[in-house]
Amino acid sequence: MAIPLHLYLPIAGNSVNVAAVLGLGVAVGLLSGIFGVGGGFLMTPLLIMMGIPPTVAAASDSNQIVGASTSGTLAHFRMGNVDFKMGLLLLVGGVLGGTLGVQVIKVLRAMGNADFLINITYVLMLGFVGGYMFLESLQAMRKNKKPAQSSQEAGAEPQKPKKESAYARCIKAMPWQMDFPRSGIRLSVLMPLVLGVLVGVLSAIMGVGGGFIMVPVMVYLLRMPMHVVVGTSLFQILFTCVNVTIMQSVENHTVDFVLALILLLGSSFGAQIGAKVGKRLHGEQLKILLASLVLVVMGKMLYGLLATPSVLLAYVGGH
Amino acid sequence: MRGLKISLITLFAVLLVLPAAALAANFAPGGLDLVVSPPSVKIGATYDGTTLTVTGKAPAGSDVVVRFVGARTELHMKEKGRALGLLWMNLASLTIDEVPSVYLVTASKDLDALGAAAAPYRLEQVSQDIVITPADKDTPVNRLELLKLRREEGLYREVRGGVTLSPADGASQEFRAVMPVPSKLLPGEYSVEVLALKDGKLAASGKTGVPVELVGIPAKLADVAFNHSLVYGILATIVALLSGLAIGLVFQSKGAH
Repeated sequence: MAIPLHLYLPIAGNSVNVAAVLGLGVAVGLLSGIFGVGGGFLMTPLLIMMGIPPTVAAASDSNQIVGASTSGTLAHFRMGNVDFKMGLLLLVGGVLGGTLGVQVIKVLRAMGNADFLINITYVLMLGFVGGYMFLESLQAMRKNKKPAQSSQEAGAEPQKPKKESAYARCIKAMPWQMDFPRSGIRLSVLMPLVLGVLVGVLSAIMGVGGGFIMVPVMVYLLRMPMHVVVGTSLFQILFTCVNVTIMQSVENHTVDFVLALILLLGSSFGAQIGAKVGKRLHGEQLKILLASLVLVVMGKMLYGLLATPSVLLAYVGGH
Repeated sequence: MRGLKISLITLFAVLLVLPAAALAANFAPGGLDLVVSPPSVKIGATYDGTTLTVTGKAPAGSDVVVRFVGARTELHMKEKGRALGLLWMNLASLTIDEVPSVYLVTASKDLDALGAAAAPYRLEQVSQDIVITPADKDTPVNRLELLKLRREEGLYREVRGGVTLSPADGASQEFRAVMPVPSKLLPGEYSVEVLALKDGKLAASGKTGVPVELVGIPAKLADVAFNHSLVYGILATIVALLSGLAIGLVFQSKGAH
């Protein structure tokens, strides 16, 4: 056979089945192409199950996300779904927030019981974000259906102009307003910067890529259209993961390039398919699917916290 | 001339010492010769575990135990416990020292059947030998949990019936052990040890080092990763970027047709 069935990973110190890792890459790439998330929530635990040390799994995953998000950003860029201006502002905020988050986590660790706090916050946040998104998109889908039915029965009904919420008024009142033509919105420059910092802090504390937090923030707080959110999120994740890959290589030597390469070949391919699948879905459908995914991840985390583990010892650096 | 003289003297000295050394090895108490094949494990790109064959001669009528042991290291670990009596998470830190990186043992009989004589070479003994600090974390549960964890990782194993014995030929009998080495293996110094047990006592033993080393692509990658880590990180990023771009472009050209 030209392609070996197993390859030894020099940094992970174990061999893996190439087909299984390639398949995992495609699956995760598909998710990131559709939803604009990195997919670490799925990738890291599955790699650990394959016998990869947790630190190597997480770091190599960042390396592969570089490939998947490049591929995905390119696919979404061609569909006009990447708001570079917004992405860059969020990124600047994210880098600042990440640096701040690393300091916050040091303080939390020193206070003790940080892990408890982090786990609880993460589960609650996933539950809140997922639940809200799910209900909101469900309502929106019902609303969309109703006028369509009534218009068939009683002719066209003019849509009521939405009442401006306090939040929308607040956004308008902020200084340094700027146009974001790609997203079709006008906001203060401060909004993406501040929210970027917030997401950066959270992802540094929780040790996650931030896609699950960033996507809802863009949808609900920045009020960007869902399709542009996916493309812009991928664009942003690309830079975050370039940074993480280099940092992890230098400081911890935990990036396994062989592993990352097999994964990224699968995930870059998956991201292209994902972008095409996403294009066929409506914004509300995308949101409700992502909300379900977030809720499933929350359920899995909660189960992990409640069920008795099979082994009562863990290597430091693991989860 | 002078150089030749010195070499001659050295040669004589070596010739004198050699037989002495050989005699010492043959007649050392418990001396047992063994041959491990292959003599070292080379981890190349397609390494997926291997099998070592250990052969040699043991005293006639003895049972043979063979073990493959990695270097003893220190592990930093967390003990899982319930926070607020409800949620499982990593709580107290502990350090476990004298932990063999790998411990595989097999015998010509079921290890249970060998009784107390085989006990020092069994996994339970490993859990006795480890050193746990701080002292209040040194509990029987933690000792057994470590064993369980390493077993699940495939690093610790008691392999059944890995040793076959040939019929006795005079005072000795040949043994042949087959030792499956896991795919999860890091380079380093490992050893194969053979222990011949007779009448509930250790009759003879032998030990030889088995180096495990990276070769080919894994060796080169590991070298760059550890010795030129910045270059490694940047290269890994660039390759990922280029692969992502390439696959993106392939799809674009497909879409255009």
